Amino acid sequence: MKTVYLRELKLNLKSLIIWSLTVGGLGLSCILMYTSMNSDMKDMADMFSNMGAFSDAFGMSTLSIASLEGFFATEVGVVHGLGSGMFAALCTIGIISKEEERHSGEFLLSLPISRIRVAAAKGLCVLTMLVVFTAVCAVLYVTGFMILNEEISYAEFADFMIKQFLMNLEISAICFLISALSDRIKTGAGLGLAMIFYVYDLIGRVVPDLKDYLFFGPYSYCNASEIFSGEDPCISGIVVSAIVTVACIAAAFIGYNRRDLKS
Amino acid sequence: MTNVIEIEHLTKSYGKARGVIDVSLKVKEGDIFGFLGPNGAGKSTTIRSMLGFLKINEGSIKILGMDSIKDHETILKKVGYMPSEAWFYDSMRVSEVIKYAADVRGLDCTEEAGKLCERLKMDTHKRIKELSLGNRKKVSIVCAMQHRPKIFIFDEPTSGLDPLMQRNFFELINEYVNEGATCLLSTHVLSEVNRYCKNAAIMREGRLTMLESPGIDEDAFLKFYEDEEENS
Repeated sequence: MKTVYLRELKLNLKSLIIWSLTVGGLGLSCILMYTSMNSDMKDMADMFSNMGAFSDAFGMSTLSIASLEGFFATEVGVVHGLGSGMFAALCTIGIISKEEERHSGEFLLSLPISRIRVAAAKGLCVLTMLVVFTAVCAVLYVTGFMILNEEISYAEFADFMIKQFLMNLEISAICFLISALSDRIKTGAGLGLAMIFYVYDLIGRVVPDLKDYLFFGPYSYCNASEIFSGEDPCISGIVVSAIVTVACIAAAFIGYNRRDLKS
Repeated sequence: MTNVIEIEHLTKSYGKARGVIDVSLKVKEGDIFGFLGPNGAGKSTTIRSMLGFLKINEGSIKILGMDSIKDHETILKKVGYMPSEAWFYDSMRVSEVIKYAADVRGLDCTEEAGKLCERLKMDTHKRIKELSLGNRKKVSIVCAMQHRPKIFIFDEPTSGLDPLMQRNFFELINEYVNEGATCLLSTHVLSEVNRYCKNAAIMREGRLTMLESPGIDEDAFLKFYEDEEENS
């Protein structure tokens, strides 16, 4: 299992470096822009906080973008939320199905390793990548705060990063299930899924009737504006997320173990 | 001689499509067993069921006295399998693929792999994507043989290999069999069965018929193919 895990990590290393540096780098650039935009920000903050549903959707009605926390939550929160969700989907959607699409499954499964252990090694690889991705982004964001020499609540920052990680885990779990049950790499489906979840959350925050159903989506509990404005966490969202994550991973293992290898 | 492969009433279907029907087969230790049959007759389905790639509908398969489902991993430790299509990871070098296979087995097969690569005249520095079918087949042979398994299962092993390599391949099989291994050889090439196999069976439309002797003449052999063509 260790050999398969290490091989998988090596195969995905380039993608991990590119994605974590791109998303983390974009976030860092946004943070560094804060000082240069700070002087013009006060007027903008008043305007942005009075744009009704639009302000609600991006959290600008509860946080002032003139503060670093508000700026981070509304700007970097969006970049990281969308970027990390897409990365989670992309790195997982083909992790198992590529063996069938590229016909290497017959070679792999002829070695003395069960399907359960193959799936476990690949799942562990995804988990490692998500941890490293989150850690690299967090380090880059903290570097930005330190360069600006600005104070930010690190407890809320840690809360945000952990919840984003859990959201990534949920998207990965759904994509892991799709990958385990399909014989094609469904990149479009994986990316589409991440986008749909993000848009669902965005629309849910604008349309009042949808607000009560936000907890179905993985973005419901990791909204940066809610976390940094100290709102109560969306417990129902976290519970649904935990159930979906565990159920998808279990279904992926069971489904993959019962499948015939494609000819 | 004990039976190293025992298949009893194996049935496997793919939804409504026929796979194999009520196949029973015994292969004795030290045998080189020829497994003949037209395309789509069910040879690969039988082999893939033996290796646990497919979930069987009915019947049982025992390899080296072990159940093919319950003892799947233990069986694969003692089996060397060469699929009809030799696919690996394109970006890996030949040496990396061979080492990867040994590492997953938890074995150091450097010496045996080196010997096999020399016999098969392989360039281990090339990447898999640079290899022809014949050279990919050679990688597959090394991966199947380097751990000196008790049973070899080859699915159309010589397609793509040049005549010299075909000869080297059968020399290697004979050497391992002389040391106590057993070989199941699925092939379309009658001359290979006539020359190297001690026993043989032929599959048609998912059913297996044991041959009295592997020394079957070409007309009788082609009759099986014609029958399959007519019925398909």
